[in-house]
Amino acid sequence: MSTRTWHDLGDPGDLDGFVAFLAEGGIVEPGDPMPDEYRREVFRFIELHANSELMGGLTERDWIPKAPGLRRKMAIIAKTQDEIGHAHLLYMVASDMGVKTRDQMLTDLFAGRSRFHNVFHYAAVTWADQVAIAYLVDAAALISQQAVLKVCSYGPYRRILKRIVAEEGFHMRHGEEMLLTFAEGTEIQRRMFQEALDRWWLPALQLFGPDSKPDDELITFRIKSEPNEVLRDRWVQKYAPLLTGYGFTVPDPDLRHDPDTGRWEIGEIDWSHLKATLANAGPDSARRIGDAARHWADTAWVRDALERTSARAA
Amino acid sequence: MKLGAPERAVLLAFADDEHLMGQRHTEWIGVAPFLEEDLAFSSIAQDELGHAVALYELVGGHDTEIDAYAFGRDRSAWRSCWLVEQPCTDWAAALVRHWLYDTAEWLRWEALSGSADERVRAVAERALQEERYHRRHADALLDALVGDEEADRRIGEALDHLLPLAVALFDAGQEASGADVTVVGPPLVELVNPWRAEVDRRFGPRPWSSVEPPAGHDRAVRSQHFDEVHDRMREVISLDPTATW
Repeated sequence: MSTRTWHDLGDPGDLDGFVAFLAEGGIVEPGDPMPDEYRREVFRFIELHANSELMGGLTERDWIPKAPGLRRKMAIIAKTQDEIGHAHLLYMVASDMGVKTRDQMLTDLFAGRSRFHNVFHYAAVTWADQVAIAYLVDAAALISQQAVLKVCSYGPYRRILKRIVAEEGFHMRHGEEMLLTFAEGTEIQRRMFQEALDRWWLPALQLFGPDSKPDDELITFRIKSEPNEVLRDRWVQKYAPLLTGYGFTVPDPDLRHDPDTGRWEIGEIDWSHLKATLANAGPDSARRIGDAARHWADTAWVRDALERTSARAA
Repeated sequence: MKLGAPERAVLLAFADDEHLMGQRHTEWIGVAPFLEEDLAFSSIAQDELGHAVALYELVGGHDTEIDAYAFGRDRSAWRSCWLVEQPCTDWAAALVRHWLYDTAEWLRWEALSGSADERVRAVAERALQEERYHRRHADALLDALVGDEEADRRIGEALDHLLPLAVALFDAGQEASGADVTVVGPPLVELVNPWRAEVDRRFGPRPWSSVEPPAGHDRAVRSQHFDEVHDRMREVISLDPTATW
């Protein structure tokens, strides 16, 4: 196994040399003199991932007290704990890049100044939305993360992604089990899931983002291994047949199975929804960011008190 | 060993306390002062709910459908204390209740850990392992905060408000009287003095003679806050009581 690092080899100004180093499977560590473009892009990507894990955890938290059953409740707490745990790890890795501290990232998030994934800008209206999120969104996130893990050039991110991907695998199975409960459930449950699917299919599909540009820096920097459209298609090919197989209707009038190619073809995607969420102007963005900011402000006294007592102790 | 009605009453009171304490802790997940606390409250809530499941199983026997029992009972069948029914919307109150409740909980599990019933003993022994961490967690946070003027004020206010509710926890209720001490340990009321000694050690001596349970406190009667938490926990399950969720 290669132990070469850019630290031994490189000059931070030599972007071409750096890209060639990455192309050969080189791994970058926090102390390495990485080019500014790399630091900026990788930091932005990890910060987005951290924010999304946290906002995803907050989506679930609203439903924990209502979880139908004690064991179900314990399982969803464990899942939320994993998501917040991922955010915790990711914020540590991101803050080590020296761009922003964890506190600055959280402050920016709650002030609506930074981004998180489109899916967490929507309201989870019923418990079945939780099921749709666990079944469709977690699977989409897992496909994206597996693709990053395949090549990930930033050492600390690569190491924690291993753990994140392993845990997300459990979440996906948890989602499958919840979906089965609804698919094989009562009329009320099947109707609830269909309504949730109507709300979540498109946001989950758009989680992958629009088609990648040919010169996508994240692919050049070996953070992403595959273009967005390839990952999105992998998800469609898996979930369109599963959902229709369970007797649910995928909310896309142009969805069809091509018997010649064996592929599922989807209709035109309206990206205006994604654009709104990118501007923190999705259907539930204001409430979500506002609630998180209010809770953060309500507990500021604890953080301030701890800062004062630890300063005194030092 | 078959449990009699008074022993089951002791365990049901404990099960309902654990259930609602776990439920109340879940309200802090994701909105605690820092991420580490979100994670800690997630763990503690899971543990308390796990204890509730184990205790409901002891009360009802293994063939009981736990969720039907835990969620489907009429509100008049609940035996929780009012401390766990109380909403704690300030972090200081949530932390103080966490400490007061877990200190009492520790003593309750210790009392059960000497049970002649091996199922009761096994549940208690496992719970005691977990409780060690809960208590350490609450103590560490209090240690870190004590000495700060604002933290001390908020903790003091929370303590004044919660202590009467906390002492009322030690009334196990009429149905528990005469419970076999070899099965469920000494009566709950006998644990109040060791608990008070722990409170004094942690927060300084309290004027115990003036700390009275709130008027009307009775485990057979629900406090004004019960319906809100009960409705929320049943919101989904009651959409279709015939369904598996």
